[in-house]
Amino acid sequence: MTTKTFESGCCSHDARECRTNKENLLSSTDASVSRAAATTSARPWIVAKFGGTSVSTRARWETIARIAAEHHARGRNVLIVVSALSGITDMLKAIVESRGDEARCREAQVGIVERHHSLHCELQLPTRNALDGWLARLDQLIADPRRAQTALAWQAEVFALGELMSSTLGAAFLGAQGLATRWLDAREHLRAQPLANQNAWAHYLSATVPAAPDAAFAQALAARGEVFITQGFIARNGSGKTVLLGRGGSDTSAGCFGALLKAEQVEIWTDVPGMFSANPRVVPEARLLSRLDYEEAQEIATTGAKVLHPRALGPLRRAGVPLVIKDTNRPHLAGTEIRAAAADAAPCVKAISVRKGVTLVSMETVGMWQQVGFLADVFAEFKRHGLSVDLIGSAETNVTVSLDPSENLVNSDVLSALAADLARICRVKVIAPCAAITLVGRGMRALLHRLSSVLAEFGTLDVHMISQSSSNLNLTFVVDEALVDDLIPRLHALLIRSDALRVEDGAVFGPSWRQLAEDGAAPLRETWWRRERETLLRLAADASPRYVYSLDQVRVQARALMALPSPSGDRRESGFSVVDRWHYALKANPHPAILRALHEEGFAFECVSFAETEAVRATLPALPAEQILFTPNFAPQGEYAAALDIGVRVTLDALHPLMHWGELFAGKDIHLRVDLGVGRGHHDKVKTGGAGSKFGVALDQVDEFRALARQCGARIVGLHAHLGSGILDASHWRSVYAQLASLAERFSRIESLDIGGGLGVPSRPDETPLDLAALGEALAEVKHAYPQFALWMEPGRYLVADAGVLLARVTQTKRKGAINYVGIDAGMNSLIRPALYGAWHEIVNLSRLDEPLAAMVQVVGPICETGDVLGANRRLPECREGDVLLIAQTGAYGAVMASHYNLREPAAEVVLVSPSPRRGEGWGEGKS
Amino acid sequence: MNSLSDPRQAHTFRFVRRDYTDGVAELVYAFDDGPELIERIVFPDAPALAPDRSAAFEAALDLLHWVAGVSYYKAGVPAQIRVESCALDAATAAFLDALYLHGLGDFAYHNKLDLRGRIRFSVGVPQRAQAAQPRWELRSRLQRSYRGAAPTRSLPRRTLVPIGGGKDSLVSVEILKAAGEDATAVWVGNSPLIAACAERTGLPMLNIRRELSPLLFEYNKQGAYNGHIPVTAINSAILAVAALLYGFDAIAFSNELSSSSATLEYDGQPVNHQWSKSWEFECAFHDLLKSQVAADLDYFSLLRPLSELSVAERFAHTSRYDDVFSSCNRNFRILGPKPADRWCGQCPKCHFVFLALAPFMPKPRLLGIFGRNLLDDMSLAPAFDALMEYRDHKPFECVGEGIESRAALAALVQRAEWREDAIVARFAEEIAPQLGAGELALDALLAPSGEHRIPERLVRFVDAHR
Repeated sequence: MTTKTFESGCCSHDARECRTNKENLLSSTDASVSRAAATTSARPWIVAKFGGTSVSTRARWETIARIAAEHHARGRNVLIVVSALSGITDMLKAIVESRGDEARCREAQVGIVERHHSLHCELQLPTRNALDGWLARLDQLIADPRRAQTALAWQAEVFALGELMSSTLGAAFLGAQGLATRWLDAREHLRAQPLANQNAWAHYLSATVPAAPDAAFAQALAARGEVFITQGFIARNGSGKTVLLGRGGSDTSAGCFGALLKAEQVEIWTDVPGMFSANPRVVPEARLLSRLDYEEAQEIATTGAKVLHPRALGPLRRAGVPLVIKDTNRPHLAGTEIRAAAADAAPCVKAISVRKGVTLVSMETVGMWQQVGFLADVFAEFKRHGLSVDLIGSAETNVTVSLDPSENLVNSDVLSALAADLARICRVKVIAPCAAITLVGRGMRALLHRLSSVLAEFGTLDVHMISQSSSNLNLTFVVDEALVDDLIPRLHALLIRSDALRVEDGAVFGPSWRQLAEDGAAPLRETWWRRERETLLRLAADASPRYVYSLDQVRVQARALMALPSPSGDRRESGFSVVDRWHYALKANPHPAILRALHEEGFAFECVSFAETEAVRATLPALPAEQILFTPNFAPQGEYAAALDIGVRVTLDALHPLMHWGELFAGKDIHLRVDLGVGRGHHDKVKTGGAGSKFGVALDQVDEFRALARQCGARIVGLHAHLGSGILDASHWRSVYAQLASLAERFSRIESLDIGGGLGVPSRPDETPLDLAALGEALAEVKHAYPQFALWMEPGRYLVADAGVLLARVTQTKRKGAINYVGIDAGMNSLIRPALYGAWHEIVNLSRLDEPLAAMVQVVGPICETGDVLGANRRLPECREGDVLLIAQTGAYGAVMASHYNLREPAAEVVLVSPSPRRGEGWGEGKS
Repeated sequence: MNSLSDPRQAHTFRFVRRDYTDGVAELVYAFDDGPELIERIVFPDAPALAPDRSAAFEAALDLLHWVAGVSYYKAGVPAQIRVESCALDAATAAFLDALYLHGLGDFAYHNKLDLRGRIRFSVGVPQRAQAAQPRWELRSRLQRSYRGAAPTRSLPRRTLVPIGGGKDSLVSVEILKAAGEDATAVWVGNSPLIAACAERTGLPMLNIRRELSPLLFEYNKQGAYNGHIPVTAINSAILAVAALLYGFDAIAFSNELSSSSATLEYDGQPVNHQWSKSWEFECAFHDLLKSQVAADLDYFSLLRPLSELSVAERFAHTSRYDDVFSSCNRNFRILGPKPADRWCGQCPKCHFVFLALAPFMPKPRLLGIFGRNLLDDMSLAPAFDALMEYRDHKPFECVGEGIESRAALAALVQRAEWREDAIVARFAEEIAPQLGAGELALDALLAPSGEHRIPERLVRFVDAHR
C-alpha cells in the first residue's frame, strides 16, 4: 500500500479519523491496484448512491464495502454517495418544526444520538470522535437563536447533519474493512445556482446545482485517492452557506457527481430490482424495464415511479453518462439501465404510471379566444401563490390545469386563496381528488391505433382531461382517484394484449415483478392436459372437434374452495369454513357428470332458468329442493310459479313480480338480488352490476321492494349481489360482503348473504391466480363482524373452466399478405367466447408440443364470419394439416353456448374419468 | 319450554338475574317461560373488586341489567315487564320507563307500534315467579334500593372516554389531552376501525367485549321485532360498571347539542333517533348514578354545549385522525385502507360530516379523507335537501340540525373553490334566496351555548375557540 492510501483514512474534516486495517481481505487488491497509481487519472469513475435503508445496519454497510471493493478491483475509482440513516431526516424535521416544544425537540435529539451511537457500536469502530463532533454541532444548532424563527439557512444546516453523520460512519467503517476511503464534503464541490423566480424556501431547501463534466476536478480528485465517500442532498450556495437539494436530493447529488466526473456509470442502489412497467404493488404482472432512454426514464420518474428522482437525470443526459438502478439484495440482477435512445428504437409503450392526489383547476371564461393576456393573468395567480402547474388542457373558453399533490395544498389554505383570486377573472371549479394516468413511451402518437381497447376502457369512465405532450413521450388521462386501483391492472393487461406494450422484446422488458418475487423463472403452470396428452391425441384422432372434461380437475377446484382458509384464530372447530354454503352456478356447464361430481363434493346449485332447475333434478333426483337456488332475470311468471311449487329457493331481482304477481309469493321465503351500483369484470358484457346492467334491484328501490314484500306476505330471508365475473382481486368480495351485511342489518329476517361468484380464472400463463388465502381472510374478517348471517357463494366458471379443453384438427393453412392463418375444424359455433367477449384462450399444438415456435399465426374456424377467430397473433410450432390443436380453459361457457350456425355440428363432449383411461375403456358419456 | 316461539306472542318480559365472576358479567332475560337469553359482558384483565366499592358495583350491575334488557324486550314488546332480580325504587323505575319509551321511539315508529302506556316498570318488591332468592341477599338489596343518595366511593381522578371511531369522540380526546387529564380510551365491541382510532389517540386503551345472546338471532327468524335500540344508554351502563371495577371517577361522552333535538314528530309524539345521546338522558343517567351508585362518579358529555359544526371545526384542528376515522354508519365495522372502505358516500352521516367539515379544512384535505367530492354529485341533491330540511324531513340518522347544514352550504357559497360544485351552486341559485340572512350565519353556530354538566376544571378547554 502506498502512503497515499494510508493518508486517505484521514478526512478533510479535522475532527475525523479513520483507520485502515492492514490485515484484511481487501489489502492485497488494494496493493495491486495502487501499483498503477501513476495512471490514476485514467481510471474511469463509478458513482454509487445508497439510500437510507442501505446505510442503516452493519450488514448493509458490508454490502456497500463489497460493491465498492469490486469496482475498485476492476480498476475503477469509486465515489460513494449516501443518504442519512433511515428515519433520521424525520427526526431532524421534528427538531426543525419543534419551535417552542422543547420536549419534542429533546426527544428527537435523543433519538438521533442513540441511533448513531448504536450503529457506531454495531460497526465496531474504534473511536467516536468524528461522529461526536457532528452531534455536538447538532447541540449548537438547537441552541442557536435562529431556531426560534426556523430560519431557512439554519434548517438547511440541521438537515445536512444526517448525511454528514452517515458518511462519517461509512468512511470509518470502509477504512476499517481495509478499503482505503476518503471522506469528501459534498458541499466543497457542488455549488448551487440561484434560479429566476426561485423563492427563499427553494433557494435553501430545494436548490439547483448545475453540473457538467469537469476534467480538472476529476483529475484533482484522482490525485487524492481512489475510493471516496460523500453526502447526498447537500451543497453550498454562492455565499458559502449550506443548502439542500430537495426531495430525492441524494439521487440528484449522484447525478451531479456523475456528470462532474464524467463517470463511466452512475449506480443507484435501492431495495427494488429497477423501474417497472407499472407500480408492481398494484400490478404484480408489471415487467422490469431493462432499458430506457433518458427522456422515457425522466417521464416515468416524474409521473409516478418513486425509485429514482427525475432531477438526477438531467446532468447525466447532458454529459452522456449512463445510469443503472440496481437491487442491493440481488446485485446479480441487471436492473434498469438508462442511456441515450437507440436510433432505431420502435414506438412502444414502456410504462403506465399513476399520480394520485391530483387537483384540477378548471377555469371558464366567455371569449377567452379574443381576450389578450387571459392565460398570462391566470398563470400569474398560480405563480403568486407558489403553485406549479403540471398538465394543461385548453379549449376556446376553458383552460384546465392540474396541480400535483403537495403538503401545502392539504395543510394550508393556499388553494382557497388561489381560487378567490382567480374568481375575479373567470369562473373557477376545483375538481379533486383525481389521478393522472400516464402511458409513457417514445413515439406515442404512432401507437394510437393500437390503443383502441385501452381507450374503450376509459370510455366507460368520466375522464376529466387528456393531455399529450409535444415531446410525444406520454399520453395522460385524468380521472377520479377512486377508480384507479382497479383500473391500472386492467389497463396494463390491455396494453400487453393490444401489443402496445411489447413484452416479448427482451431487450426492453425483463421478468415480471411476480416472477422476480418467486425468484427466477416462473414454472409453467402444471395442467392436467399436459399429463393426459397421449389420451387426448387418441381422442382427437377418433373424432374432432370435441370437448374433453377432466372430473379430477373439477374436484381439485371444488375442494380448494371447500377448504377455503380463514385466519387460524377462527379455526376453532374442525371443518370450519368461512363460506357456509357453496352453490355451483350451472350455467357455466350443466353436464350431468359435472353436476354429480360437484354434488358429491358438497355443492348446492344455482339455476337461472327453470329448465336448469329441471336438469339438476333429473340428474340428482334425491337432491332436496331447498339446495337449489333459482335466480332468474326477466323470466316469465310461470317459471317462478313452477319453482315455488317444487320448493326451490327463489331470488327476485325486480319489483315487477311482487307488484303484479304478489299472490304467488304470499307466505313464501324469498331472496332479494340487489345492485350495489358498481360493475366490474373483464369485459363490458360480463359486468353484471352497475347502472348499465339489467340485473338486480337498485339500492334506492330496496325500501319499496320491502314494502311490497310485506304487503303480499313474503319474507325476505336472503340478500344477493353478483357484480361480475373474472375477478382476481380478493378485496372485491370483502367489499360486496360488507356492503350486503350492513344493508341486511336494516332488515329483520335476513339469514343468508349470497355474494355471488365471479372468482377469476387467469387466462394468460403469466397472470396471477386468485389468492384463495387472501379471499378466506377477507371473508373471515367480515364474518367476524356480522356472525349472524350465513355466507353463500356461487362460483361457476372457477370450478370448470380449467377442467375442459377443446380439441380441433388443422384443416388448412394459408398465407395472405403478411398474415398466416391456421384453419381448424372447430369454429365460433363450438366456442363463441373469443368472438363474443374477446376472450383469450391459450392454444397449443398438441401434436407438436415440444417443437420450437414459428411465425405468428391467426387461428381461425370454418364459419363464414370475419369474427370466427379463436386466437389472434399466436406463436405456434409450424402447423400441418391434421395436427391437433388444443384450446385450453374451455370447460366453462364452451359447449353450453355452442350453436349450429352454418349448420355445422358443434364439438361433442367427452368426460375423462380417473384413473387415466386406456384406449377403448373408461371414457365417460358423450352428451348428445 | 325450550322451543322458540314468536316473541311477539309473549305476555311477559322477565329480568331473570344477573351475575358477575372474574371479569364476566352475565345478564339473563326471558320471554314468558321461554329459554333464558344470556348476554355476556367481558371486562379484560379485570382487577379484584375493591371491597369499599362492592356495594356500588352491585348497584351499577343492576342498572346495567335493566338498561341492557332493552335489546331483548324490543324483540317482542310484551304487555308486562317483570323484574325478578331485585326491587326497583321509584326513581329507577321512572328512569327505565322513560328510557324504554323514548329510546325505542325510532324503533316504534318503524314498526308502527305505540309504546305509550305499554311500558311500565313496577316499583316495589321483586316479582318472583318461582323459587325465591335467599332472603338475606334480597334484604340487602331492598335496603339499598330505598336509600336516597349513594355515598362517595373514593374513586381516583381518572376519566373514561368512550371512542366511537367518528369525529366527536376524537375531539373529546384532544380536549382531555389539552387539559392534561388522565384519560383512557374505551370502546365496546370488536370494531377494527374503532381500535385503530383508539390506538391513534395515544391514550391507554380498554376494550370491553359484549356478546349478545345468540337466541336473539333465532328469535329474529321467528319474526321478532327489530330496529334501533338506545345503544348509548347500554354503553353508558357498561362504562359505569367499568368505572367502579377499574377505578375511574368520570365518564366523558361526546354527545353534542343537536343530539337533543327530535328527528320528527309521529302521531303527536316527538321521536328522537338518538334519544340516549340527548341532554334529557344525560341528566337522568347522571342523577341516577349519583343517587344510586356513587356520589363521586361523574357522567357527562364533553361536547354538550357544542353544535355539530363547532365539533367539526375543532376536529379540523388536527389531521392526526384523517386516515383512520369514520362517522359512516354503513361501513364502520370493517377497516380498510382506502377512503371508500371507511366512507360509503351514500348515507346521511357521510353527507353531513362531509358538509360540516368543508368550511373548516382545505378542500384537498377533505377530498383526500373521503376519496371523492360528495358536493359535486348532483344525484345527491335530495340527500342534502333532507339535511337542510328543505322539502323533506330530517333523515333518521345522527346528523346535525337543518340550520347547520344550511349555514355550512352558505359558507361554501362564499368560497371560490367550492362555489361551482353542483350541490353548492344549486343551493346558491335555488335555496339561499328563500332564506333570511340570519339563518345562514355560520359564526353564531360555533360558540358554545346551553346547559352542560362538564366539570369546572374542563370547561375552559371546551370553550377554547379556534
